[in-house]
Amino acid sequence: MSVGAHRQHAHKDPHAHAINQPSKKLFRGIPLHFVWRKTQGHGQRSVNAPLALIPFIDLLLVTVIFLLMTFSASGEIGVDKHIKLPQAENVVDVLDAPMVAVNGNQVLVDGNLAGSTRAVEDLGRMQKIDELFDMLKRKRELWKSFHPNKPFPGVCILQVDENIPALVVKSVFQTAAYAGYPNISFMVRKRAKPAD
Amino acid sequence: MGGVDVSSGGKGRSVNEEINMIPFIDMLLVTVAFLLITAVWVTFSRINANAQIPGPPNPEKEVTPQTPEKVLHLHILENEFSLVWKQGATVVSETKVPKPEQAGEFIKYPDLGKKLGEEWKLHGGHQDPSDKKVDQAVLHSDNKLPFKEIIGVLDSLYETKREMVIQGGQRELVPVFNMSFSVR
Repeated sequence: MSVGAHRQHAHKDPHAHAINQPSKKLFRGIPLHFVWRKTQGHGQRSVNAPLALIPFIDLLLVTVIFLLMTFSASGEIGVDKHIKLPQAENVVDVLDAPMVAVNGNQVLVDGNLAGSTRAVEDLGRMQKIDELFDMLKRKRELWKSFHPNKPFPGVCILQVDENIPALVVKSVFQTAAYAGYPNISFMVRKRAKPAD
Repeated sequence: MGGVDVSSGGKGRSVNEEINMIPFIDMLLVTVAFLLITAVWVTFSRINANAQIPGPPNPEKEVTPQTPEKVLHLHILENEFSLVWKQGATVVSETKVPKPEQAGEFIKYPDLGKKLGEEWKLHGGHQDPSDKKVDQAVLHSDNKLPFKEIIGVLDSLYETKREMVIQGGQRELVPVFNMSFSVR
């Protein structure tokens, strides 16, 4: 029975079943020949195009290699958001040491307030910052109590804003040295050296 | 999908086996995601300085007078740099380097770096690779000088490097100078 005749019969018989047995209605019931040809690949290109996975895998591998090369196991070091560090080329890696942050208003030791920058600037001469001295001294004593048999390395790192005047830098430097930290480093943003 | 084509030509089961690439791609994607999340895009480093504080005197040791070492005094002036080598209070040599105008974020004095290298070759006291000490430079600056200019000078100071024999006989490139601030 053709499709047209079947439909006509169903229309005439009001008791005919409304639900029919499932089958491939799309191609047999509705003759979409151009779709049939394309899906079967008869004569023309198939629409089932395979995805080229090799370039995709290549891209992923290159990304993985690049990210592994730039991977830093030491993690990100917290820098005060009010501080803009200067840039330098001849640098060494950061090590684990107390961080003294110096911004336009405050001096902070590991995030805790340890003095005022304004007070040093207003005085107009180098001075020992007492709060900073006490905090660094406490840190040194704490380190010594935890490591009684080791010599104290005396290293501390200064995060100083690029526009802070030399007077403040020298005062902080001197105070840290008095507190038992003679090996002082300045944190900078690393700048790649130009190729010769 | 990826496969290994090894033509056997004989009877029996085909040796062309399909490798399932989906787990491999999944693993790569997970690795990329992990590395992207843990990536540190801004790298911080440090520049060394030393406060040159002498250790406590030992009363049991006899103090023998020693010839003072040559020290480089680097004066940052308004329009020039002055490089003065001093041995104790005696001035050994003095050189001037013009200070170029600097604009922008990154401050660099390439001429100063070159001159410091030449000066060290002439007057530096610690040039042998087996010498564990480095020459000392004392920085003299105006109190109002911005910190970024100090870092620019320090960057030039640490530009010249020399070989130093470290533990285990290995050689390492280290800066020829160690810097300290002048305190008045």
